[in-house]
Amino acid sequence: MYRRIIRRDIARNKLITLTMTLFVAAAALLVALAALLIVHLSGSIDTLMTQARTPHMTQMHAGDLDAARLAAFAEQSEHVEQYQAVEFVNIDGARIRIGEQTLAGSVQDNGFVKQNESFDYLLDLDGQVIQPRDGEVYIPIGYWRDGTAKLGDTVTVEDKTFTVSGFLRDSQMNSPLASSKRLLVSDQAFAELRPLGSIEYLIEFRLRDLSTLTAFQTEYTDAGLEANGPALTYPLFRMLNAISDGMMIGVLLLVSLLVVVIALLCIRFTLLAKLEDDYREIGAMKAIGMRLADIKRLYLAKYAAIAAAGSVLGFAAACALRGALLDNIRLYMGESGNDALALAIGALGALLVLLAILGYVSGVLRHIRRIPAAEALRYGVSQSDKVGARRLRLSRNRLLPVNLFLGVQDVLSRKRLYATMLTVLILASFIMIVPHNLHHTISQRSFSGYMGIGAYDLRLDLQQSPDIAERATAIADKMAADPDISRYTVLMTKSFQVRTAEGTTQTMRIELGDQDAFPVQYSKGGSPQTADKIALSALQAEELKVTVGDPLVLASDSGDVRLEVSGIYSDITHGGKTAKASFADDSGDIVWAVVYAELTASSDAAAKAAAYSDSFPYAKVSDIEAFIDQTFGSTIRAVGQASQGAIAVALLIALLVTLLFIKLLLAKDRYAIAVMQAFGFTNRDIKLQYITRSLFVLLLGLSVGTLLANTLGERLAGAVIASFGASSFEFAIDPLSAYVIYPVLMGCAVGLATLIGTSGSGNIILSEHIKE
Amino acid sequence: MNKIIVGDQIVKRYGIGSEARQVLDRVSVEIGQGEFVAVMGPSGSGKSTLMFCLSGMDAIDEGVVLYNGKPLSQMGEVELADLRRRRMGFVFQQPTLLRNLNVLDNILLPSLRDNRKRVAELTDKARSLMKRVGIAGLESREITQVSGGQLQRVGICRALMGDPDIIFGDEPTGALNSASAQEMMELFTAIHTEGTAIMLVTHDAQVAARAERVLFMRDGAIASELLLARYRQEEAAARVSRITDRMTSLGV
Repeated sequence: MYRRIIRRDIARNKLITLTMTLFVAAAALLVALAALLIVHLSGSIDTLMTQARTPHMTQMHAGDLDAARLAAFAEQSEHVEQYQAVEFVNIDGARIRIGEQTLAGSVQDNGFVKQNESFDYLLDLDGQVIQPRDGEVYIPIGYWRDGTAKLGDTVTVEDKTFTVSGFLRDSQMNSPLASSKRLLVSDQAFAELRPLGSIEYLIEFRLRDLSTLTAFQTEYTDAGLEANGPALTYPLFRMLNAISDGMMIGVLLLVSLLVVVIALLCIRFTLLAKLEDDYREIGAMKAIGMRLADIKRLYLAKYAAIAAAGSVLGFAAACALRGALLDNIRLYMGESGNDALALAIGALGALLVLLAILGYVSGVLRHIRRIPAAEALRYGVSQSDKVGARRLRLSRNRLLPVNLFLGVQDVLSRKRLYATMLTVLILASFIMIVPHNLHHTISQRSFSGYMGIGAYDLRLDLQQSPDIAERATAIADKMAADPDISRYTVLMTKSFQVRTAEGTTQTMRIELGDQDAFPVQYSKGGSPQTADKIALSALQAEELKVTVGDPLVLASDSGDVRLEVSGIYSDITHGGKTAKASFADDSGDIVWAVVYAELTASSDAAAKAAAYSDSFPYAKVSDIEAFIDQTFGSTIRAVGQASQGAIAVALLIALLVTLLFIKLLLAKDRYAIAVMQAFGFTNRDIKLQYITRSLFVLLLGLSVGTLLANTLGERLAGAVIASFGASSFEFAIDPLSAYVIYPVLMGCAVGLATLIGTSGSGNIILSEHIKE
Repeated sequence: MNKIIVGDQIVKRYGIGSEARQVLDRVSVEIGQGEFVAVMGPSGSGKSTLMFCLSGMDAIDEGVVLYNGKPLSQMGEVELADLRRRRMGFVFQQPTLLRNLNVLDNILLPSLRDNRKRVAELTDKARSLMKRVGIAGLESREITQVSGGQLQRVGICRALMGDPDIIFGDEPTGALNSASAQEMMELFTAIHTEGTAIMLVTHDAQVAARAERVLFMRDGAIASELLLARYRQEEAAARVSRITDRMTSLGV
């Protein structure tokens, strides 16, 4: 019997059933996918860390190392199973050339290592310990992923040349968030590279029992051993390995939560409308003695069918889609080895959605208990429905046409009913506006000032070479004589040792020259106008724990130089950690040099860039648009794509939910519609009333959504931007698209859905409903 | 007497195919200007359906319905809606009022559809109608705050707002106690006296006795017709007994 009831009900409400099944399927898909990915990610990390024999604790250390004392400590400690001090030759990225480009722009500290003997292995893509031959280099997999290196590329450091023979998985430093990257060479090559860079140590331990990690860390600290760098632990490596994909899974879970909420809201509304529809029948069933559980089962059966179909569909889609999302995990960490478990957990996720829906439906069906049989039989509608404030009076309305008035008045007097639609439209507006505003903000030319890029037209980059200063001078001379160039400046970047708050030193690159010629935006303080001042990027200042007015000491062969921090600026270039100063310095090598120029108004930047490129083939010449495109163009494009995707999703959600809502509302309001039609209201009048209701709710939704987007959304986006190194962030809003085009688009989606939804309003048989 | 409504050979079916059920079987009926016609018959005889077909609320399957000589089938949805709003009034067994609107707004609703600018004038008219039917002072009440009898009077006020040619009543006293029903019929009689045609569907011989002509329906057809002339209070009992006699003879 249930099957017949379900089939008939579905046949009568195809659109509503389809929409709800789609929402359930989307919810099940996202939950199952997130569950699948969690199992795979966790399995892959375990496999990687087991195969690589990841250290349980790694103490980073720069400076001298007393190997004998460390070995003695490890020998005596009851916790230590294995110990090693690994050398890492840190070489400035500008000096490492892979193929045609250097790693100067790399965010990472890049260095060379040799393969370890007993643990902390660097693995190939089959999970095997790599043993490179002389002349071979293995590159971190991330550099293959981002296109920095490919198999067979030549890697040069000074006069040493290597061939990229493969890519490696590094269980400690795989993550883009780990600040160092290890390039693996043979023992012989390592010995040759050793004098070319600064040596840093990774003092690594494997413990007998991981649970004694905290006790061991205390023991290590108490022993006063080498520790002028951070100490990293096994759980932290796990987290670092998990975080990138984990964030994706987190986003998936968040979105799935949103979709589950939307699905439940839709189900609640549909079900309540259905119960209202069947009010008299429910009364009759109660009157003839049917048990509450039997009546509930009639309704539950249909939703169980929808939820089951949606969950199965969603799970099947998750299985089909998981390959694409697993690619990254597989590449960085290898196979998880627990496919079956992952599938089972994914299925469990979909099952959870199913159970959540059934539980929720069962809860909503408790309304049946409260339906009085006599009242239901007699009136056919609930007599106790609360109707909201009716302060708006038709007789006092002088402003709105009657249909518009009725639409607005209905929304205001049945607020609880429209809350579902309003909530969904607020969410949809938020989803639409925040990524769009973020994209617009970072696309602005003025935004580059916040990102460490001055307002120049042309830049010439000179990479490290023995005669870099002469080359820069040659360019400057040509520019001085060029009538198309209104002004220019030369900035040289050199490496300095800076003293940290902990008393250690670390390398910092400082750009020297006239910092006011093409200034960046300072979020605090200003530019370093005198020789005793220095400006730091936000990330650099954070790392050194200094702010404006604080002293900063540079260590040099001729003694310490004391500077004062004059300002802090946002920077996304060179990994976000940069500094600017104007003092003169004759010592040390120039790491790179940049010449900035401003063109006269009539000049064509691209043509000028081409001309300078011809004249100075050793310089990388780019106009500002090209430079911005190369540095964070991919970010802008990714955000742009995400924004377009978000707009499409938001419009689709708005369309589907409005359609569902209007269909249900129409079913609920059949009587009122019949009354109005009987007394001479046309189909057009009715449609106009419903469009007014939809657009009025949309207007509220857009207003609240925009408000939320510009407050909460701006803070969320600011947090994302801060991760690139920008310290101050405000949305640059394009009023035309944010306040006109997209709201109008959403209005069109909602209006269209309302029109489709109300297309059947003329088919109401008046006599049937009036006779009720 | 000019005919406002002429129905000729009306056939109305509900359902389709083998499940189709014929509710009106070649019914022909005429209602003259200012005439008061009652339609009687057992449940399921087709009397309400006849009213819905004559007022254009339901489309007919065969035959023709003319309003002032123009076939309803030639009118579009908008023209039919305009006709119902401007030239007809309706009173049903249940009050058929909108729960979102208060008493006054319910009365004003159809007439304001065309005349938003005249809201003050129409409000005055609504108030005077309310006074006339004995519900003055209830303007601001919600429709859940007034009695069934009062709600029916609200319905009458709404029906009269457009000065209709004809008022259709479908069991307007069916849900009322006898005192309220009596008062309601006094109102209908008064409205008729002022020249408005009335077509009333009813089970009640007392109600039908107010009409000038009574049609008796059985199995979707008009089985008989009784002419009573204009209502006079002193003839009430005799009229009722003529109606019941006819019903008995027809077996309805």
